[in-house]
Amino acid sequence: MNYRHRILFGAVALSWAMLSVTRGDELDDALVVISRVGPDGAGAAEARAARDRVAREGPSVLPRLLRAMNSPNVVAANFYRSAFEELVARELNDQDARQTLPRAALEAFVRDASNRGQVRRLTLGLLGDVFRDQQLAGWLDDPEFRGDAVQRLIEQGDQRKKADDAAGARDAFRQAFQHARDSDQVLQAVARLKGVGVDVDPARHLGFVTRWFLCGPFDAPETTGFAKPFEPETRVDLQAQYVGRDGAKLGWQVRATRDPLGQFNLIQDLAAVKEAVGYAYCEISSGSKQEVQLRCSADDNLSVWINGHQVLAREQWLNGTRLDRFITPVTLESGVNRVLVKICQGPQHVDPAVSNNWSFQLRLCRADGEGTKFEVVRPTVADARLQP
Amino acid sequence: MKRTSIAGLPMLLVGLSIVGGLCPPSRVQGDENWAEWRGPRRNGVSEATGLPETWSASEGLKWATPLPGRGTSSAVVWNDLVCVTAADGPRQSDLHVIGVNLADGKIRWHAKLWGTAPTLHHGTKSDMATPTPAMDAQHVYAFFGTGDVFALDRAGRLVWQRSLADEFGPFENRFGHTSSPLLYDDLLILQCDHYGESYLLAVERSTGKTRWKVARPGTWHSWSSPRLVDVPDSTKQELVVCAAHRVDAFDPATGASLWTVGGLRRECIPTPVAGQGRLYVVSGPKGETLAIRPGGRGDVTQTHVDWRSARGVPFVPSALLVGDYYYLVDDAGIATCLDAHSGKSLWQKRLGGAFTASPIAGDGKIYFTNENGETIVLAAHSGAYKELARNKLDDPVYASASIAPGRLLIRAEQRLICVGK
Repeated sequence: MNYRHRILFGAVALSWAMLSVTRGDELDDALVVISRVGPDGAGAAEARAARDRVAREGPSVLPRLLRAMNSPNVVAANFYRSAFEELVARELNDQDARQTLPRAALEAFVRDASNRGQVRRLTLGLLGDVFRDQQLAGWLDDPEFRGDAVQRLIEQGDQRKKADDAAGARDAFRQAFQHARDSDQVLQAVARLKGVGVDVDPARHLGFVTRWFLCGPFDAPETTGFAKPFEPETRVDLQAQYVGRDGAKLGWQVRATRDPLGQFNLIQDLAAVKEAVGYAYCEISSGSKQEVQLRCSADDNLSVWINGHQVLAREQWLNGTRLDRFITPVTLESGVNRVLVKICQGPQHVDPAVSNNWSFQLRLCRADGEGTKFEVVRPTVADARLQP
Repeated sequence: MKRTSIAGLPMLLVGLSIVGGLCPPSRVQGDENWAEWRGPRRNGVSEATGLPETWSASEGLKWATPLPGRGTSSAVVWNDLVCVTAADGPRQSDLHVIGVNLADGKIRWHAKLWGTAPTLHHGTKSDMATPTPAMDAQHVYAFFGTGDVFALDRAGRLVWQRSLADEFGPFENRFGHTSSPLLYDDLLILQCDHYGESYLLAVERSTGKTRWKVARPGTWHSWSSPRLVDVPDSTKQELVVCAAHRVDAFDPATGASLWTVGGLRRECIPTPVAGQGRLYVVSGPKGETLAIRPGGRGDVTQTHVDWRSARGVPFVPSALLVGDYYYLVDDAGIATCLDAHSGKSLWQKRLGGAFTASPIAGDGKIYFTNENGETIVLAAHSGAYKELARNKLDDPVYASASIAPGRLLIRAEQRLICVGK
């Protein structure tokens, strides 16, 4: 859905909601006017006047205002929020005034995970810490508040550990790990679990591929590597010998990483070179056909093929391997899937002090970031053990 | 602030301010305040007088106001109102524009807004609130790395928003978008160079509507900010934009391309300065300063570059032009002074500390603030190194300072600090 479609959708949905929920009145009209604000500043003057109208209201309009704010149109959402902030600052600036809040409606809005996360969080701020604390335990899988709930579990685990409740601490940390999707929180939970004698695998939890066949470096002067196809792109033959940089014979080598975020350092695993191309290949088994997210990153850049189809190619140089830099939907077929990655290495940065990075990471996960269920069937664990 | 003894000026100003409410804001108004990135004329130089020379964490501070979240934008000033931006939240998409009383540092209003598309970046010294806002008599214009531009009125109420990320695609930038908006006549000009489709955009200040948009195919990302330069022997101004490998000039009224000079580094962060009939462009690391005469057409690399110098070139901090002297400080804290006419090196000195903030100048002083919050004050208008003071705050500082009449505004990591009486 593009921007204009979102505005149209938001405006129509709001009009319908206003007609169905309440009798049309001046306030509804103002909310609908704001919903029509669009690209290129369109409708801003009208939206501003409507915003002023809405901001004059009292706390009873908050449920309607929040429903309107649920819009996918971020510009409209900000006009609503501007009115919201003014209304709240004027009408709800002390605890007594907050007694007038329509709490039941606001609490229901926050609990409804289908509402926009940012609007739910904004509303939660009105309801206070007691309500928040009551809800957190039930939000471990919530699209907006998962991170808050996981953080609470980590804090609880710390408190239990401090109180010499090792079993309680383990339970809290383990639960935090299972529900964490943010990499920082995953690694926090891993460290806490290690501190109570439990080892877990963050890379598997997040869906990283940690075993690959690697091949390279192929010669690619300057930044020519991205566009130039080498033999592995035509056909992957794990027994083949290729001609690489300086005439060297290249074969596929198995490499595994212990990096918690699945990163491979090709300077170590292939060669300390610049202006080159390397390939990574693996076969993964999926128990069923799955629509998943491919999330990956590389320094300098990468292209990815799944089952022979190119699913990602981004020519960006000198950009660093950063978690989840590129995200694209892909299909894993039931059974074995072939994954080929091309990782380009560009010229040295003009500043010789800038280190010569050549690296990549790749994971397959659900939309919330949890690792997809798959097994790397080639190379095998045994193959990896045989490697130096 | 310019001072004058013309009788009746107060009434004239009242009259102009009323007219100003009806007419497009003019450049003249902007010149009276530190209303945008690098201040009036975008050189980092103010005509304010009575600026402080010495202070410390416990002395000489007028006020200090805590700020939310993260932000590396500078403060901007219009008369009695100071504005600054910040970002926070789980996705760094909760945006803040804060209006502060210049007199006492009290928060006058705090606009909380949502950003469209926070950039996945790994900047430790930048964030979604790195672009410095701009102000005029009617509005505050806040630009964020989320690809959003907001106009607020002087009470902090939303007037218009452009979601550039929704309209033209999210910014892709490994250090986050840092380019600050530029005021020109009734336009706000935005440089949007990134890994995706780069462009220059001019929108009407009053409505947010696009006046012109110029695609920049093949342009890599940059972190520099646009500026204007006067064309010698003309009343015209040119819009100058530094980017990877080149500096381009455009007609600011239409976006028409005018001239290009090659020779910049691939990564361009500093904003150029202008004066003495030239434009001074620098990009690093290991790059050069190019002193360019504006007014050319086409590729003028061979004809309009008066001098080049690799001396003291910074990666992040912008340069400073004070009269006949061109000052630089590199990221490692080595300051350099060149003759603005010839490029000849006059002095070079290690100041100490690492630098992200750009130097500023006013009242015969140059202020170099390092990341430790130490400001080294040098005497300006001299070809010699003359240190006046070293003033240490307890706060880390990455943002460039701003100048208000008699005061410095230093945006530290967690608070906005007003130095002066």
